[in-house]
Amino acid sequence: MTGPRRTRVTIEAVPLVIQPDEAEIASFEPARRGEHVSPLPMTAGDRADGIRRFEVVVDGWLFEAATEPAVRAELRERVARSAAVHHATARLTLRAQIPGRVVRLWVGVGEKVERGQRLLAIEAMKMENEIRAPQPGVVEDIRVEIGARVEREDELLSIG
Amino acid sequence: MRKDTERPFKRVLIANRGEIAIRIIRACRELGIETVAVYSDADADALHRRAADTSVHIGPAPATESYLLVDRVVEAARSSGAQAIHPGYGFLSEQPELAEACVAAGIVFIGPAPETLAQLGDKLAARRRASAAGVPVVQGTFEPIDLATDDGTAQVRAEAKRIGWPLLVKAAAGGGGRGMRRVDGLDQLDEAVTSASREAAASFGDGSVYLERFVERARHVEVQLLGDDHGNVVALGERDCSVQRRHQKLVEEAPAPGLTTEQRRHLHGLAVNVASTVGLRNAATAEFLLSPDGEFWFLEVNARLQVEHGVTELVADVDLVHEQLWIAAGHPISARALAAAGRAAAPERHAIEIRLSAEHPGLHFAPAPGRVTRWRPPTGPGVRVDAGVEEGSEVSEHYDPLIAKLLVVAEDRPEALARLARALDELEVGGIQTTLPFDRWLLHQPDFADATGLSTDLVDRLWQPLELVSVAALRAAELAAVAATSSSTEAAPPPADGDGRADDSWWRAGIQEATERLE
Repeated sequence: MTGPRRTRVTIEAVPLVIQPDEAEIASFEPARRGEHVSPLPMTAGDRADGIRRFEVVVDGWLFEAATEPAVRAELRERVARSAAVHHATARLTLRAQIPGRVVRLWVGVGEKVERGQRLLAIEAMKMENEIRAPQPGVVEDIRVEIGARVEREDELLSIG
Repeated sequence: MRKDTERPFKRVLIANRGEIAIRIIRACRELGIETVAVYSDADADALHRRAADTSVHIGPAPATESYLLVDRVVEAARSSGAQAIHPGYGFLSEQPELAEACVAAGIVFIGPAPETLAQLGDKLAARRRASAAGVPVVQGTFEPIDLATDDGTAQVRAEAKRIGWPLLVKAAAGGGGRGMRRVDGLDQLDEAVTSASREAAASFGDGSVYLERFVERARHVEVQLLGDDHGNVVALGERDCSVQRRHQKLVEEAPAPGLTTEQRRHLHGLAVNVASTVGLRNAATAEFLLSPDGEFWFLEVNARLQVEHGVTELVADVDLVHEQLWIAAGHPISARALAAAGRAAAPERHAIEIRLSAEHPGLHFAPAPGRVTRWRPPTGPGVRVDAGVEEGSEVSEHYDPLIAKLLVVAEDRPEALARLARALDELEVGGIQTTLPFDRWLLHQPDFADATGLSTDLVDRLWQPLELVSVAALRAAELAAVAATSSSTEAAPPPADGDGRADDSWWRAGIQEATERLE
């Protein structure tokens, strides 16, 4: 069955997904003062998938939004779901959100941690930024040591 | 009156970076002074370097290998022929070593004498001084903590118990909240002292820390001071800097709301008293806590220009950096500034500043370095922007995340708030997350808008970003959907018309004609 054409918008950082149809999009108010939308560069993969990316600022909050035709997104998801079903795991790998230097490590491999427990601290811009456990579990793997430089998205440790 | 041909110095080196370096360069240019910037590897393309007449490279990106090296800075001044060094704030501004090295090299240090810096810049010595001068100080220790020995550890614990919880661990050489930790119980003490000390060592090259009682629901109120070599020490008014996070100021205003003329006079007197005991020369700020019962408690003196000096400038109508330069050249405080000091207890304008930092207010104000891809600062009546970035600037992880200060001035506080709201609406930043959402939110909080709930814990008490982010994200998704389905965002924006630039054939023809004439 073919319904109205929908666009899927994903904001991963929040995370948020909406799928408005053409009529709904036409009813959205255009950008007001203090809001702006700028297209971001697309990768070759984005182009192939029909994905477009935007930086959107609302009330000073900065978001990266990805848009794509909803039918394509759903198709891609079905393929991904069937591939991922055998690899389901609760293991969570924490990555650095800021570049900096590891100045503290409060936990060791095999240690049980509670949600919100301090794991390590990264110094950036002369401030210590504590990384806390987003979920309870056991520290399975630590990929950094004190003094190590980390870049954004570098893997720090895993909780299983 | 000063003669038109006179200028305090021929050439000045600015031992700093970012917005404050540019602020000082502007003042120098206005006084006909040539400027020399210093820059690290990370700042080769920085705005402050290009703003200066000349620049000297002083080392790699980490501040400890560049901006914090006294020898490099002094050598840069010598090799570039600068007669004086302005240290700005942070970095070496309060280290007596730079002032001493300047004296030794025959270069003028634009700030207090080295001895004054040693007495005031060392927060502990300042506490002792103020206490001896009869100025009320917050309860705490008067000597640096030594955790290296068992005796030292035991002593610190005993002191902490005597002061009571919560308390603050503070850096003796500190400022700007660096090396500061709140401690709520004995179990957190050693850890807080250790980490504060390390942060202090990284920021100031000195890891000494001390303890101070944490005054609940206090406001942070500070007094702008000027002193000269002719025996004048004056207060130019006070600022309220209660809106803080992690002991870092986010918003400042002048005057402090709700004080009576009598309270102002008393406070300014306390500040002048502290400054006079050490023979203050140049600009400094005396910081106080205002407890809910209306008492002022001395915290420390920052013997340098403050980040938030601009709000005082706007209210007092005095250029503090001009004053600093003239005073450093041996002139007395200007008649204009003296007159402003005379009026300081009964201010007739109100100014507010917001610090725009590359920090994520939804993620506990974590640093958010990156490239500024869009920069549209507000303009118009009563608006001042001191920025250290432009479109394309890289905000480096190596330095303070402050990228700009937005200041407004108006007749009174309600008008200043309305103007700030207007200016924040105009401000557009892209490429990096900034503290802008926090400022937009703050304006609508009764605690701030009516100044009824001003206290240093306001942010921790009230800031709940998650709902704000969710609402904004939904709106952002809508805007992205609109952009994705409209064709206009595919192409570059069309050139603005109506300003004569769309059709530029007439002036191109004119230029061609003029060029031909020259040939």
